[in-house]
Amino acid sequence: MAQHIFNGLVGGSFLALVALGLAVIFGMLRVVNFAHGAIYMLGAFLALSMPSFWWALILVPLVLAAGGMVLERTLVHRLAKLDPLYNFLLTFGLTLIFQDLVKWRFGVQSTPYPTPGGLTGSVDFGAFDFPAYRVFVLAMAALICFGVWFLLSRTRVGLIVRASTERPELTQALGINVGRWVTPVFGFGCALAGLAGVLAAPMRAVHPLMGADLIIVVFAVVVIGGLGSIFGSVAAAFVIGVLQALSEAYLDSALVSQILVYLVMAVVLLWRPSGLFGREESPA
Amino acid sequence: MRRWAILCAVALTAAAGCGGGGPAGSGSGKLSDGKVVFGVLNDQSGVYAQLSGKNSVEAVEMAMADYKAKYGDKAVVKELAVESVDHQNKPDIANAKAAELYDRKAVDAILDVPTSSAALKVADVAKEKKKLYFNITAATTDLTGKACNKYTFHYAYDTYMLANGTGKTVTDQGAKNWYLVYPDYQFGQDMTASFEAAIKKAGGSVVAKDPAPFPNASGDFSTYLLKAPSLTPKPHVLGTMQAGAELVALVKQYNEFKLREKGVGLAVGLMFLTDIHSLTPDALAGTTYTDAWYWNYDLKSREFADRFQKETGTRPTFAHAANYSAAMQYLEAVQATGTDNADEIVKYLEGRTVEDVFLRNGKIRAEDHRVVHDAYLAQVKPSKEVAEPWDYVKVLKTIPAAEAFRAPSADCKL
Amino acid sequence: MLDIENLSASYGEAQVLRGVSMSAGKGEVVTLCGRNGAGKTTLLRCVMGLLPYTGRVSLDGNDLARKASYQRARLGVGWVPDDRGTYATLTVAESLSLRVSKDGWPLQRVYDAFPNLYARRASAATKLSGGEQQMLALARVLRMGSRLMLCDEPTEGLSPLLVEQVGAILRQAKEHGVTVLLVEQNLHFAATVADKYYLLAEGEVRPTTPDDKELLTYLGV
Repeated sequence: MAQHIFNGLVGGSFLALVALGLAVIFGMLRVVNFAHGAIYMLGAFLALSMPSFWWALILVPLVLAAGGMVLERTLVHRLAKLDPLYNFLLTFGLTLIFQDLVKWRFGVQSTPYPTPGGLTGSVDFGAFDFPAYRVFVLAMAALICFGVWFLLSRTRVGLIVRASTERPELTQALGINVGRWVTPVFGFGCALAGLAGVLAAPMRAVHPLMGADLIIVVFAVVVIGGLGSIFGSVAAAFVIGVLQALSEAYLDSALVSQILVYLVMAVVLLWRPSGLFGREESPA
Repeated sequence: MRRWAILCAVALTAAAGCGGGGPAGSGSGKLSDGKVVFGVLNDQSGVYAQLSGKNSVEAVEMAMADYKAKYGDKAVVKELAVESVDHQNKPDIANAKAAELYDRKAVDAILDVPTSSAALKVADVAKEKKKLYFNITAATTDLTGKACNKYTFHYAYDTYMLANGTGKTVTDQGAKNWYLVYPDYQFGQDMTASFEAAIKKAGGSVVAKDPAPFPNASGDFSTYLLKAPSLTPKPHVLGTMQAGAELVALVKQYNEFKLREKGVGLAVGLMFLTDIHSLTPDALAGTTYTDAWYWNYDLKSREFADRFQKETGTRPTFAHAANYSAAMQYLEAVQATGTDNADEIVKYLEGRTVEDVFLRNGKIRAEDHRVVHDAYLAQVKPSKEVAEPWDYVKVLKTIPAAEAFRAPSADCKL
Repeated sequence: MLDIENLSASYGEAQVLRGVSMSAGKGEVVTLCGRNGAGKTTLLRCVMGLLPYTGRVSLDGNDLARKASYQRARLGVGWVPDDRGTYATLTVAESLSLRVSKDGWPLQRVYDAFPNLYARRASAATKLSGGEQQMLALARVLRMGSRLMLCDEPTEGLSPLLVEQVGAILRQAKEHGVTVLLVEQNLHFAATVADKYYLLAEGEVRPTTPDDKELLTYLGV
């Protein structure tokens, strides 16, 4: 049991990192960034072209943050004032473009990526042992989530981002240049997805559709947590990760594991339409 | 917020993909007057695109070129063409596209069609249109069982062949206790049933079997890998029926959880050369599986592989070789009968023994249209034994054509 | 100080304001009366730069046309929105530190004036009572050192005691030369602070007085 819960937390780590970025971007821009999964995938593929895993861990998020900011300035920004559907279509289109570019460059097959040296062993937890790399992934995710929490709740930048995320118009009227923070926040969200991609490369199949598969679950996670609720997204990610692992381990039918996340989403939406930690949007 | 929740729900549905079927064409096929058109219907962008995909179109073009070169002025078929369509592994798309190929593109024979559910749909279309269909890359035995028909030939392999080769041999070698993990859809279920039967017949037993979500969105199989060593009795071998990218993820995680060191071996239900390439041979070293053909088996296959590499830059999988072979055998039949009438061709092919680069001791069974041929029990080499790129496999044993496939099924009434 | 000339604005398809002109001098409290839906909030949002408009809004003679709302806030326009603009994700103390100016009230002065806010400084702002939320909205603007306060029905739903406290704050601000544009239904309250009155009806404004018969009839008092 303990090892399955632990393993579920590792699975939840990826969901959390990707969901965190998605939630931050949605909160600040009111844009559902469908391309987030593709950015996760790009993170994994960019890791292939880095001198080592450790360099990739630092450089790939930076590269994707920069790329994300360019994307926000050149495309997303222009559609910000229109119906959200436009940005949804834009980011969906970008997803297809990114996927095809990667297919064109790397082919559709999975690309090999070794476990980084030093993390190939196992960690003994007494009752069970666990691959060291997975322990590392969980630690990284916990560290990042804590870091983001600290940034948001204990710094002035975080204060501004929280205020802008919750009530952009009011915050603007209180003298904060919200627009100035939009681009960096978009880049930051992309960096988190890219980091998750790098972390995934050594333990999952690196292929062009890896993000398209994941993003659907992440969307559900974000809805469960409450759209725009950063804490809610992270909490929901880990809960879903653990439930998923337990259902796979103890239930004989794959059907439940397969639809688990949607089932939880449906129940949560019926019970609390704005998600576990979401708030009904107050009228402007 | 409610509005966003709805938008997201719509997004989920859109992304989950409900491919809409186009209208099926109508009208009876007309004779294509000396012109032969092949239709390669397969996955050109998704998980099975590498193992077959566009390179299978190249293989068919190679067969067309070889036919022209062989018969020159005496060739019955003066004009040859190939149409290729991406069916995205979706049965409804396969269904609509197959009808379109036969009716509107004047295709004489459809080739390839991976994904069992899509393959079965195309068999129905072939039957309705009375046009030829050589299935290469789908595994379901239903194509030569309850879904068989006069115009459908199952060419390369099936679940029985894989299970009988791998399940039986690995059990015979002493791995009596199995833990089976399979993707929860037609292919995985068929494979698991076939493996269970083969394992029991060989005196082994299945300790546990777990269906895994398909498609597996997270690409994570660690739950099963954690579970494997703690089962009682402890399984000697983990049999995975995952394919393509899912197989790659599972094997990565198998190594990560060090199951080999914990005494749980690995057997793979279906594997293609491209999968080994993706994982690197070291990740799979020692793994046994059943192969329908191997490019470096002998000089004849090697010669084909060299030409294929010149065209595509890569070595052929068995799917590529089988597409070549099926196109070639069809053209030979047209040459021999002087017609492209489907009924005449079927009559010619039924019961024929064939020998070519892919078909060794091949025979086209008249009873169920199963194309039987030698299969191979293969083992992945560690990278230090890999002498040249792509030569990842050592053939342990040839399984004779007569033993490799099941006897004709009583369910099949042509 | 604040001059509005010929301002027109639409809300969706409907034109809400048609050529509104009004002004407020330094240290004046100007009350804007009108029925619900007359466009009072729309007018404040135009001044704040949150809605597009035609015409001219100027502060000390400087046209604000090209200024975004955050720039207007920095020039000294403070907004106390009708829903009090309370943040759920910010504590009281955080709400009071979003933007501060050296011309504004120091934190200690705010806490001295509003002991309740001090007591609940670590709570989420949405956990406060309605009256406390209103005090917070006012205090936020005082911290920014705004020279022009746009107060949208600050006494709505408050107990008489709290209404009196709001009045005291407005008078105190006024003494320091702050201009207040007050949207108010409660004429009794308005009478305790206002220097002049405008009536907004059918998209147009005209000056009025609290004993104007027409105004009283119009408002149904």
